[in-house]
Amino acid sequence: MSCNTEKKVKKSIWFIICMLVIGGTLGLLTSFGIAVVVEKTSDDKFCTMCHTMQPMADAYSADVHGGNNPMGIKVNCVECHLPHDGLANYLFAKAQTGLHDFRVENFGDLDSINWEEKRKHAKHFVYDSGCMHCHVKLRDVTMSNPKAFIAHKEYFEKRTNKTCVECHNNVGHHNLGDYIKK
Amino acid sequence: MLKRLLVILAVVASGAFAASIGDVSSIKTLKVERGLTEVAKGCIECHAKETPGHVNDWKDSRHGHVGVSCIDCHSVKKDNPMAGQNCPGVKGTDTYVSMLVSPKTCGRCHPNEVHEFQQSGHARAALQIRAKASMESLMHHYEGRGNPDLQDSPEATGCMQCHGSIIEVGKDGRPTAETWPNYGIGNVYPDGGVGNCKSCHSAHKFSIAEARKPAACASCHLGPDHPDIEIYNNSMHGHIFNAEGSTWNYDSAPDAWEPGDYRAPTCATCHMSGIGDLTTTHNISRRLKWNIWAPISKTREGGYETAVKDFENGKITKGNALAGHPDGSEAARSEMEQVCKSCHVTLHTKSFFKMADKHVELYNTYAVDAKKMIDELGKKGLMKKDKWADEAFKVWYHIWHHQGRRMRQGALMGGPDYAHWHGVFELQQNIRELEAIYNRRMKTGKIEE
Repeated sequence: MSCNTEKKVKKSIWFIICMLVIGGTLGLLTSFGIAVVVEKTSDDKFCTMCHTMQPMADAYSADVHGGNNPMGIKVNCVECHLPHDGLANYLFAKAQTGLHDFRVENFGDLDSINWEEKRKHAKHFVYDSGCMHCHVKLRDVTMSNPKAFIAHKEYFEKRTNKTCVECHNNVGHHNLGDYIKK
Repeated sequence: MLKRLLVILAVVASGAFAASIGDVSSIKTLKVERGLTEVAKGCIECHAKETPGHVNDWKDSRHGHVGVSCIDCHSVKKDNPMAGQNCPGVKGTDTYVSMLVSPKTCGRCHPNEVHEFQQSGHARAALQIRAKASMESLMHHYEGRGNPDLQDSPEATGCMQCHGSIIEVGKDGRPTAETWPNYGIGNVYPDGGVGNCKSCHSAHKFSIAEARKPAACASCHLGPDHPDIEIYNNSMHGHIFNAEGSTWNYDSAPDAWEPGDYRAPTCATCHMSGIGDLTTTHNISRRLKWNIWAPISKTREGGYETAVKDFENGKITKGNALAGHPDGSEAARSEMEQVCKSCHVTLHTKSFFKMADKHVELYNTYAVDAKKMIDELGKKGLMKKDKWADEAFKVWYHIWHHQGRRMRQGALMGGPDYAHWHGVFELQQNIRELEAIYNRRMKTGKIEE
């Protein structure tokens, strides 16, 4: 092998290493950026940038899930309103619902929205995978409470199609109906 | 001396026993601690004094056993349209209650029962009345005479007591007198719940045994247009039940109530129970081959009832008159035959249904002929504008709505007197009557005075 060829090989190895380092760094920075954006767009502060969401946020703040509990624990909007059965699903639903809300908020007829009517379809925008993401041990802890055990039996045995919010229809937003009316 | 003492003791004891039963108000205080919150205990203790009948029922119920108490079913969120604080016990607290309990509440623990119920014809009972202009005009215009003050009473005292109503509430969240109280099976609650579990499992005991007895169905399925309890009593099944039903066991677990617990079926056995290989269902339309209440009988090929789905989508409809088994009328019949199998040989069952089906088809020939005459008279302008004053219409109405149903239902449920004397015999008289009116009007071109 000639000296020249050896130099060429060395050069291209360095080139590959450099590209990997730069690419990796860029990738990490981008992922970091996306993670930050995903995180920053998860809570009520972001969601109320659309003003139509204010009554929902107010009712949420008054609720156990919105921080009105002895320990002050708060559950972000997306914990319930995005699916938690996989990262791809989660991100896809986030993008889809985000774009939808952006479009309606800016170009839609907001006065024509019947929020009370929308509540009847809550199961389409509150995800059981979200509930179960936090209430991981619900099945076990309700075993010893006969009332809760019976109420959840058909659900955990998968003998009903009902979702969490079909029974817990006020969860997350305390007296939401009163706030929507305002 | 000892004898005398014993006699006195026995007299006092039996007196005390007699006084303690039959008088529900004798329980003035009731302390229940087990598994209940402070609020829940408050309701029970106060209502044991205020409405002891409610608490007496409850403490005898399965709900009482598992710690489901007043508050679990009657408490609602503040923004619920039925919410109120009319009870002094909760006034000014965070607790809101409603005297109305919707199937949405029952469905929290009994989701499948409510789901199956809503797939059945029972679920359209109240909604269909609102969707039928002819029913509205019968109740308010003809029976209520259009009287602005009195026209709601026919519906409130009659129709809605079995069919149910679309319950309306006042500003205080309490139901209006025009729409409640009732025990109707198709109630529509202000929270959107449809149905009424209490029609068969009366409050506040909600007994499975009660709903398995014919009495639970008989309070509505009776009378000239659907004498189902009379047909049952006329049948051999009813004969055995009436002779010895008081000794049977009605309390077995769901899906485990089998021959042995009883010697003959009740309504619930055939239409709902998990007898033999079948599983229980609250869809009472599921095992029915025919629609035997409509003017013309068709087999039930419509799948599930649709009224509740329509209502959830904002529409009040007549629902699905041909709701039945999701796989069609033959699947329905085959399930019903499986019921019979526990006690009857196949030949018995097949032959019974063969002749009963023929009786339904025979009815159809009467109905088709009668309807043809009515339609023809209508086309020629030979029917009165006020149909309830028209002799031909009245005969036709009785043909399908009264004797025609008795004929079909009597045949399919083994009530010979209804299949025959109250049924087909009356029909052959009616059709002759109608033919006479038809011929007269066609000949003279006039409606008789």
